[in-house]
Amino acid sequence: MISRIYRSLKGKGQIFVSVGQELTPDEIIGEAFISSGFRTLNLASLLSVPPEKVDKYLVRKLGQKIYKDELLAFKKGGLFWGKKVVVAPTDGILDFLNPKTGELRMSFLPKKQKLASGVYGIVELVDKNRGLVLIRTQISRIYGMFGSGKPRDGTLKLLGKREDLIVRENIDDRLNDNILVGGSLIFKDAISAAISASVEGIITGGINAKDFRGMAGGRLVFPRRLENDIGVSIVVCEGFGSIPIGEDIYQILSEYEGKFVSMDGNKGLINLPSFESSSIIRVKNTNLPPFKEGVLDIDVESSEAELELGMLVRVVGNSFSGNIGKLIGLDQSETLLPSGIKTYLATIETRRRKIKIPVANIEIISGA
Amino acid sequence: MANLSGLFDSFDNLDQISVENIALWLKSAPNLIQLENYLVNKILYPQTLPMSQSDMKIDLAILREALRVNGPKPQQRENNSLLGGNPFLNITLRKILIPQRFLTFVPDLNTITWVFIDALLLNRRREDFFWDLWTVVLTDDVDEIVGSILLPQFNKASGIMELNVSNKNYKIRPGSLTVIPCPKDRCEIAYKFIQGKILGKEENTVEIYGGRLGLMIDGRSQ
Repeated sequence: MISRIYRSLKGKGQIFVSVGQELTPDEIIGEAFISSGFRTLNLASLLSVPPEKVDKYLVRKLGQKIYKDELLAFKKGGLFWGKKVVVAPTDGILDFLNPKTGELRMSFLPKKQKLASGVYGIVELVDKNRGLVLIRTQISRIYGMFGSGKPRDGTLKLLGKREDLIVRENIDDRLNDNILVGGSLIFKDAISAAISASVEGIITGGINAKDFRGMAGGRLVFPRRLENDIGVSIVVCEGFGSIPIGEDIYQILSEYEGKFVSMDGNKGLINLPSFESSSIIRVKNTNLPPFKEGVLDIDVESSEAELELGMLVRVVGNSFSGNIGKLIGLDQSETLLPSGIKTYLATIETRRRKIKIPVANIEIISGA
Repeated sequence: MANLSGLFDSFDNLDQISVENIALWLKSAPNLIQLENYLVNKILYPQTLPMSQSDMKIDLAILREALRVNGPKPQQRENNSLLGGNPFLNITLRKILIPQRFLTFVPDLNTITWVFIDALLLNRRREDFFWDLWTVVLTDDVDEIVGSILLPQFNKASGIMELNVSNKNYKIRPGSLTVIPCPKDRCEIAYKFIQGKILGKEENTVEIYGGRLGLMIDGRSQ
């Protein structure tokens, strides 16, 4: 589909492009100086030492400058453990070491950051005051179930298999500015670690309701009316609890590993830009409705449709949730379920097995 | 998200009910994190049906707690005493109001009535003798009376209620929940208590509503 995406500078700077200009993904559309902010590193955890002993292993003094990938802390290996090496995740100044927690605060050095277009497209709007560029481009869009967080973009990185649990140990500082694809469940600690590591976004199959409630302002009402942001955007593709990301979604995301993508957590959207240079022809030939502030394109509501054999469907709810398969049968008479409910069942052929599911518990992904 | 109907559509505060309280309605409750995930998936996919017996038990526990939380409050009765003030319990007319569509999701009328009793009548303070007798109504475009609920008060655990319905005798003991068929529109019952009373009397003959539920007698209240 043809849609609009924002690209924005992360600090004060300059935009180099003008309305109507054609863009390629590598084209630099602006640059900014990022001077404010800091990052916290838990050296006690990274070095596996008690917090009060962290200062022994620092190889730079507090107040010194350090540049990205330079040695920051080092612990020799012993008989039962290996050596630990911690390098600076970014250019900065060693600001403060907390002996109670073992956390080191690094203030960022002012640095120039170039902003690439990331997509084939045409500039529709330039807002020099806010450092924003609006680009018309061709994307594939994945609609998650729900999410949290403002629009963000970055390089897509798969963390593991689609059924993996994502814990704190899966997140490190090398993942900054990435959009991570998790597995079936991401834990609160891992989300906190992602915020500390300046991860842009997380795509997951499921999340615990308690953790999501904390991100969503306390209430879990769907569709959500309030916009929230906790410093990282999250799109949950399947539901609550441990539910692997659907095979169809995971397959598409795998093809975008290492590529630029954008997402809008509050709307539960993932935008995957086309990387075919020929897509610019379609972008040129397609006009979108006039742009309204805050509305990138028309929101698509899901709808009801009649089930037909051969359709690709997904199981929702609390039993067999997240299973995807082809609809190969629809019962003509009702069946009494162990729960005591009489209902019509559908037969779904997944990659591994055939399952019978109440018709009410499936949703259509695509037509026959 | 398509707007599909489900058992819990009548409640717009489902996300605010306590998971700990839901767990109290279950004999073997899953851990609270799993239970909360189950609850929120119900909010997210309201149309889905429970497949297993254990899922049905969780659905019923959620329904009990949702009804309890949304049941009539003392101030509601003061403000709107004429209408009863609640979609599930009309205190003025002593009626339990069960939406007919609930039977799509909980087909057993005995079970759904039991849920309503647990949530709305159990542990509720009696205001007068008439709190011992409730009429059960299935609400839809046309309401249907399906039976009555009797809440006998036993003075001791050894108490007994001897009941005669349609020339059949029954013995009701404290702590029991009994359903007696009475398919007619009106049923005459005669009762006699040892250590207890109902409708303010130890012995009496009264006519009550019958129907496809019949007569449900909840001997759990003392």
